[in-house]
Amino acid sequence: MSLELLKAAADSNQWWALAPEVMLACAALALLVLELVLPRAEHHKIPLFAIAAQAIVLVGVFLNFDTNWLGESTFGGLIRHSNWGQIARVFFVLSSLLVCFLATVCLPRTRMPRVEFYHTVLVVTAAMMLLAQSDHFVMFFVALETVTVGLYILVSYFRDNPLTLEAGLKYLVMGALSSAIMLFGIVLLYGAVGRVEGANGAIHTGFEFGTAAAFLQAHPDNFLAVAGALLVLSGVAFKIGAFPFQIWVPDVYQGAPTPVTAFLAVSSKAAGFAVLLLLVRNVFAPLQSVLVPVLSLMAGATILFGNLSALTQRNAKRLMGLSGISHAGYLLLGVIASFTVPWAGGAVWFYLFTYLLATMAVFGVMAYCTGENDADHELDTYDRLSRDRPFLAAVLAIGLGSLAGIPPLAGFLGKLILFIAAFQAHLYTLLAVAIVGVVLSIYYYFGWIKAAFFESWRPAFSTETATAAPRTTPSLFGTLTLALLAVATVVLGFFPGPLTSWLIGK
Amino acid sequence: MSPVQSALAILLLPLASAAVIALFFRKQGALASWISTATAGAIAVLSLQLIFGGERFTASMEWLRFGDFSLSLGFKFDDLAALMLFVVSFVGFLIHVFSLGYMHDDAARARFFGGLSVFMFSMLGIALADNLFMIFIFWELVGFSSWLLINHWHEKQSAADASKKAFIVNRVGDFGFLLGIVMCYWANGTVDLSELAKLGDAHALVFSAAIPLLLFCGAMGKSAQMPLHVWLPDAMEGPTPVSALIHAATMVAAGIYMLCRVNMLMVPEALTVIMWIGTATALYAALCAVTQRDIKKVLAYSTLSQLGYMVAAFGLGSNRIHVAGCSFGDKMGFEIAVAAGVGAAMFHLTTHAFFKALLFLGSGSVIMGCHHEQDIFKMGGLWKKMPLTFLTFTIGVLAIIGLPGFAGFFSKDAILYLAMEKNTAVFAVLALTAVLTAFYMVRMWKITFFGEARSEEAKHAHESGLSLTIPLVVLAVLAVVGGYAGVYGKLAGGIAELVPEAEGSAHTTILLVSLAVMTIGTVSALLFYPATGADALEKKSSVIFSGFVALKESFDSVYDYYVAKIQQRFAMVLNFLEQVFLAGLIIRGAAGFIGLIGIGARALHVGSLHAYVYWFLLGAALLWAYAAGVF
Repeated sequence: MSLELLKAAADSNQWWALAPEVMLACAALALLVLELVLPRAEHHKIPLFAIAAQAIVLVGVFLNFDTNWLGESTFGGLIRHSNWGQIARVFFVLSSLLVCFLATVCLPRTRMPRVEFYHTVLVVTAAMMLLAQSDHFVMFFVALETVTVGLYILVSYFRDNPLTLEAGLKYLVMGALSSAIMLFGIVLLYGAVGRVEGANGAIHTGFEFGTAAAFLQAHPDNFLAVAGALLVLSGVAFKIGAFPFQIWVPDVYQGAPTPVTAFLAVSSKAAGFAVLLLLVRNVFAPLQSVLVPVLSLMAGATILFGNLSALTQRNAKRLMGLSGISHAGYLLLGVIASFTVPWAGGAVWFYLFTYLLATMAVFGVMAYCTGENDADHELDTYDRLSRDRPFLAAVLAIGLGSLAGIPPLAGFLGKLILFIAAFQAHLYTLLAVAIVGVVLSIYYYFGWIKAAFFESWRPAFSTETATAAPRTTPSLFGTLTLALLAVATVVLGFFPGPLTSWLIGK
Repeated sequence: MSPVQSALAILLLPLASAAVIALFFRKQGALASWISTATAGAIAVLSLQLIFGGERFTASMEWLRFGDFSLSLGFKFDDLAALMLFVVSFVGFLIHVFSLGYMHDDAARARFFGGLSVFMFSMLGIALADNLFMIFIFWELVGFSSWLLINHWHEKQSAADASKKAFIVNRVGDFGFLLGIVMCYWANGTVDLSELAKLGDAHALVFSAAIPLLLFCGAMGKSAQMPLHVWLPDAMEGPTPVSALIHAATMVAAGIYMLCRVNMLMVPEALTVIMWIGTATALYAALCAVTQRDIKKVLAYSTLSQLGYMVAAFGLGSNRIHVAGCSFGDKMGFEIAVAAGVGAAMFHLTTHAFFKALLFLGSGSVIMGCHHEQDIFKMGGLWKKMPLTFLTFTIGVLAIIGLPGFAGFFSKDAILYLAMEKNTAVFAVLALTAVLTAFYMVRMWKITFFGEARSEEAKHAHESGLSLTIPLVVLAVLAVVGGYAGVYGKLAGGIAELVPEAEGSAHTTILLVSLAVMTIGTVSALLFYPATGADALEKKSSVIFSGFVALKESFDSVYDYYVAKIQQRFAMVLNFLEQVFLAGLIIRGAAGFIGLIGIGARALHVGSLHAYVYWFLLGAALLWAYAAGVF
């Protein structure tokens, strides 16, 4: 960014447009300061500060949802404010709030420092919010790297656990590889577009979304540009865990600390989709004839791969990872539909919100059902959960039922609306694949519910005493949060009206 | 509380009560019964407040929306709904009170009262709903709660069978109902009652005989019209309060109410069919009732017959006749003409709810007094032992046979008058039915209450407790005064004005006819049946007797034949195919196959970073190749 740009930004004081992100970053710094200032005995209050700060940001974004900046472009074209950007802000803050809640459950069990965790989560969330509003490939890449680097730290956060370290290393290598490929794609696009002289002598480059889109509109069969676009998409596919870039998912999900797994499953995936919608709508729309077949193949393979490999999985965290791949596949359906059906983007966001509620409920229960080594999280851990902790079992059943798309839970409506969008876009084959995938998913989700609700058979003569599964009783705050997620999942299943009109109406 | 809020409270209170009972008080029968009854009381108070508050409103909120298709949930609280609300909440409350005594010693009391609350919720939902989809949802809930309550004594095989039969027969009707709703939406683009009415006023409705007839299928199931009437007599296996609440006063009336709700969709051909089905049911059920020995079965067939009256009245409404209180003169359009049927049907529905609930509860009191003996030929001499029950039951009988001054007289007259004006054949059949009604009711009344006690149980009969007799007295009062329009005031509102009234010579004719039919029926029953332990008709003319019995059996045997000989065999063939192909080859085979693929897919995650990187590069290379046009 040149000095002139900064000066221009200061003149019009566009920083207000980024108030939520700035507030989050300040809060992240404040956390570190607090750790220095507060006596050690008071350190347990710092996470509460992080949660409170995010709650304030969430309320603030809500209250200023229809800001004057909507439709405007700020910071010399780096950022463009839109309704989807606002929705993404709400989504990411909500998600990181819940991740912080999970961290308050999981972190005290280890000897790891705590404050840095919340700090990193806040920074990554701010970067995700910027990512979802970027209008320039440089902004896009910098924000994406901020997210990714933060996640490298978070994934390997429990560094005394070998599995976590392994996951961290794998995520680092794969992430770096995907960033490299994506950057290569961006460079190809930049090179193909070259420098374009604008209306009043201004020079535009292929970094700007608008310029790149105009170029693609004019030359839809430029090989370099198309290759660049596809490579950029492969980087995004890594984020969302779409076939064939899904291979890292189970190992990393298993090794990462549970809150981070939730962060990857919800925020990171949603960031991928926010970016994908942004790119498909603003930059790559002229490449429809190329992208639709690629994305369709990707979606079909992702759905089938995710569901099939989850079928025989017995590790809960790997299961969430593999089934998360299939959710990415359903969501890709919505992205493809959005080429022709304008409201499909809203359907994708609605699905993401239902997915957030259900996934966070499931991870919440998982957080209460693990011991110190949370990588080793088999479905057998849930044996007799319904008898020992009926509340947790009920929340788990609602969360998994919603993920499986059982009516009347929110997940069902999410799938229904997404599939209606796909139907209106005439994606019949993909729809059939998706429905087969949903049927398959019921098998493993209900296998998990079965593990929690029905006693597994043990030979009567077995001398082996069943080791008591590590379970914690939720605190009042935890109970309320989980109950809220479960109730929201049920209520949204009955009354999606307000949320759908908010998302799809925009 | 604003009217909308109190309507919401009325609807949701019973749901809350049912939920609380199901979640916390399954074992505490006493507590559960008081919760449920208190809720019913609160509903009754709120509804009276709402009805006599005079406010009529519609309110709805969007429930689902995809693109331009939307579903909404809402209330349409007009005069019709007010009347139905009154019947459901008030009679429902009295029956709750009655059940407190009647079900006092039942082991599964909590389930029973929970079921009553679910039923109240569903029935109130039908009464208040503002669109056909919502009516359908609550319609199914009513079917479910009816199944639950008939099945209350599920350890008895006959009760389990009866509940199953009721559920399945209703499903058959509901299938047609659902088709009708879908077709209405398809043809008119909306199923909202107010919008349909608006379209009707603008003459923009798509008329087709199929829509009202399919909708009528739903009413045929719920209101037990021929040929779907077979479940109602069997449903008497449920506890008597259930019979009174569901199978006399409210649920079976839902069909009539629904017809009145959709009257803007009616066309003359459909109305003719409806009229004849109602008439046939009225006569058929009256004939069946003559040979019944079980006190509740007599009442069940009489309910069928009276429901037939209401349906016939609705069907007759298409006639152009003078409607009191309407000043349209000769310009009376089709809509107004249907309204006469609505008025007559709803009027009879209301009075019938009072006197039939009274009769059922009276029979419950008799059954309780006789230690669960239900055969009228084993009773006798009860008038001395159960004076209050006798008195109120007598009022009920007088009301149903149409003694002038009692509720049934007015409402039946309105229907007979409508029939006389419109269709002489129907009029004749309905008049004959009225004779039969008086005949079998008086037969039952005389045999039950007079003569010598003919069994040990009847000898030791005793009057029932207060919680049983108070509802009887209240209902008896309503059965007397329920026929006077003045009683309703704001309650019935515009509906009261729709009830057709005969004037001048027609008035005299109708009065004479109804007096004559009542007298013929009553006198012949009094003379023909001695109060002894044997059926006089069976002794004197076994041919006629067995003819009536065979008539009653005919439908069941046809259905049995169909189910056992045709459907069952077809199902067995399908089952064989299913076992071999579906379950064997496709399901097991596919599950095994997919399981194998799953293991394979899982095996790709070898855990080696090298392999992962190659995957990645392969993916990127494939995309590159695609961009280069290799594929």
